[in-house]
Amino acid sequence: MRSFWKAAVLFSGIIFCMGAGEKQDFIEIGFVAPLTGDQAYVGVGVLQGAQMAVEDANIKGPIFGNTKLKLVPLDDQHNPTQAVLAANKLAADPDVVGVIGHFNSSCTKAASAIYHEARMVQITPASTNPDISRQGFDTFFRICATDDVQGPAAADFVFSKLGLRKISIIDDKTTYGKGLADQFDKKFESLGGTVLSHDGITQGEKDFTPLLTKVKSLEPQLIFFGGIYPELSLLIKQSRKLGLRAPWMGGDGVFDVTLIKLVTPSLSEGTYSTMLGVDPHTLPEAKDFVTRYEARYGEIGSFSAYGYDAVNVLIEAIRRAGKNDREAVLREVRNTKDFGGVFGRINFDEKGDAVGKSVGIFKVENGKFKFIEEVKPQELIV
Amino acid sequence: MSNQFEIFLQQLLNGLTIGMVYALIALGYTMVYGVIQLINFAHGEIFMVGAFFAFTVIWLFTSFFVGAPFWIVLVSIIFLSMLGSAVLGATIEKVAYKPLRNSPKLTALITSIGVSFFLQNAVMLIYGSKEQNIPEVIPMVRFDLGGFSFSLIQLIIFVTAVTLMFFLTWFVKNTRLGKAMRACAENAEAAKLMGISVDKVIRVTFMLGSALAAVGGSLFGIYYGSINFHDGYLAGLKAFTAAVLGGIGSIPGAMLGGVLLGVVEGLGAGYISSEWKDVFAFVLLGIILIFKPSGIMGENLPEKV
Repeated sequence: MRSFWKAAVLFSGIIFCMGAGEKQDFIEIGFVAPLTGDQAYVGVGVLQGAQMAVEDANIKGPIFGNTKLKLVPLDDQHNPTQAVLAANKLAADPDVVGVIGHFNSSCTKAASAIYHEARMVQITPASTNPDISRQGFDTFFRICATDDVQGPAAADFVFSKLGLRKISIIDDKTTYGKGLADQFDKKFESLGGTVLSHDGITQGEKDFTPLLTKVKSLEPQLIFFGGIYPELSLLIKQSRKLGLRAPWMGGDGVFDVTLIKLVTPSLSEGTYSTMLGVDPHTLPEAKDFVTRYEARYGEIGSFSAYGYDAVNVLIEAIRRAGKNDREAVLREVRNTKDFGGVFGRINFDEKGDAVGKSVGIFKVENGKFKFIEEVKPQELIV
Repeated sequence: MSNQFEIFLQQLLNGLTIGMVYALIALGYTMVYGVIQLINFAHGEIFMVGAFFAFTVIWLFTSFFVGAPFWIVLVSIIFLSMLGSAVLGATIEKVAYKPLRNSPKLTALITSIGVSFFLQNAVMLIYGSKEQNIPEVIPMVRFDLGGFSFSLIQLIIFVTAVTLMFFLTWFVKNTRLGKAMRACAENAEAAKLMGISVDKVIRVTFMLGSALAAVGGSLFGIYYGSINFHDGYLAGLKAFTAAVLGGIGSIPGAMLGGVLLGVVEGLGAGYISSEWKDVFAFVLLGIILIFKPSGIMGENLPEKV
């Protein structure tokens, strides 16, 4: 299937070079996320959300004239070099009017300059690093919250709501994991808490018992982890085997039901997680989306709804623009006002970040992530 | 003070456990290198596929033979994943390396990287890209030895690894096939002239190495409780380091290298910094190679790849 898409992109590239811009029946939306490699599981979840949005729109009929939509998925393997290659490929294809992607902050950042130069709109469904929108690219948009909301929200919750004062931090040394852990660290200390230790681990590693043996001797009241769930699942299991009883907390990267399955419900009990927005299962307005998604693809991925929303924002803009023109579509994305997404209304600020995107705090109870509270960015004035 | 000593023993034990797994994988690297001077980069992937064989066998047991005693489950896991991986190893050798027997060394090396990508992606397509959960098949029994403790699965890892190492040493020293293997390692041309079927020896070497990696993979999966299609990469890299550390081509060297690597990593991560865990492994490798370029037990200088 992927080679088919590759061929399609290549083919349309050739037509472009020959200057034979025929009247077309399809308008294309680029999509880039890790679809193979060690983060394929999240990328595929976002892709399924995106596919559903495109299919929903096509069922309603042509978007304008006799033009229908087509999604062009590419893989960046969560590798910034591959991300740039994919971005160049999409930028060179005149049928691609905008891009949904990428997933990892490092990739999104690397590719954003290329989309900017090609005057293509880019909407990221999941990259939370705050620096990306500070580059001054008017083509960049994001529909999720950023880590300068998420990290402090978690720290505030631990300090004020749980009343804990002594914690340890572990991160996975990636742009995302370390960035989030540093935000948490800074906020927790500024609130007056003590960070007993802040260590890094390597992604893909399996044995954390040496580090955990050390952390155990410091007796933290809670351990915050900046990273993604496969590592957290091992950390939790190994810590319990060592008799380390402190609860764990992570960010949106650990918010996945697979975490509970991997750790087993009884051992994951009491683990906290922040998530961008709230659990779609708890939202009455998201019920239709969740039901249809799960009927189609099985369990919903933690970012699938963001993929769905991002594509819908773009589709709506294409519809309003009414033509295959990158500038026109870009203008219409910027004009987005009160767009009804799965997680409520979407508006963009002048940097392209979604306005007022809140962070939800969750706790594992009875084998499920239970929604505890919502932290709005305006509540977090340092 | 005594508490400090207990933590030290615990860290040592943690390191030894993972070191045993490294050693099992390193044996395959070293044996293949010994016989055809090929660094088989697909070996880490065979380890991963072995873990997935184990996962499949466990799945069969938990869905169709509920309540089977754990040692039957364990023996079936190890036996079937060894068998599966041995067949896989022989197939890879036949399809990917045998046609390149007389090509430059680099061609086979790059082919092995290709095989590694192929296996990773094949497993991803079959089992999916998510982390797979391995249900606990070994009862959670802990043995307390005054202060520090170890679990049944750790004991099983030790016993299995040590038994296999003894078996391998005996096999290579005393059987006809083992002798033929050593002859091929010494001088393949001469061995051929003496009537040894070099092709058969190479095939058996791949099968043995793959079976050992599969045992490592199965125990690894059961110990950590989750596996993923990219687990072979890091484990393979570590085991390769262990093989070079011990002296590539040397069987006791691979065992020693694996155990040493596990212990150094464990103690380094526990006492200095877990962020630098991989650094300790490679610093150790650097130091050993400066003073003994052929590795701890290596006999001659390895050829450059």
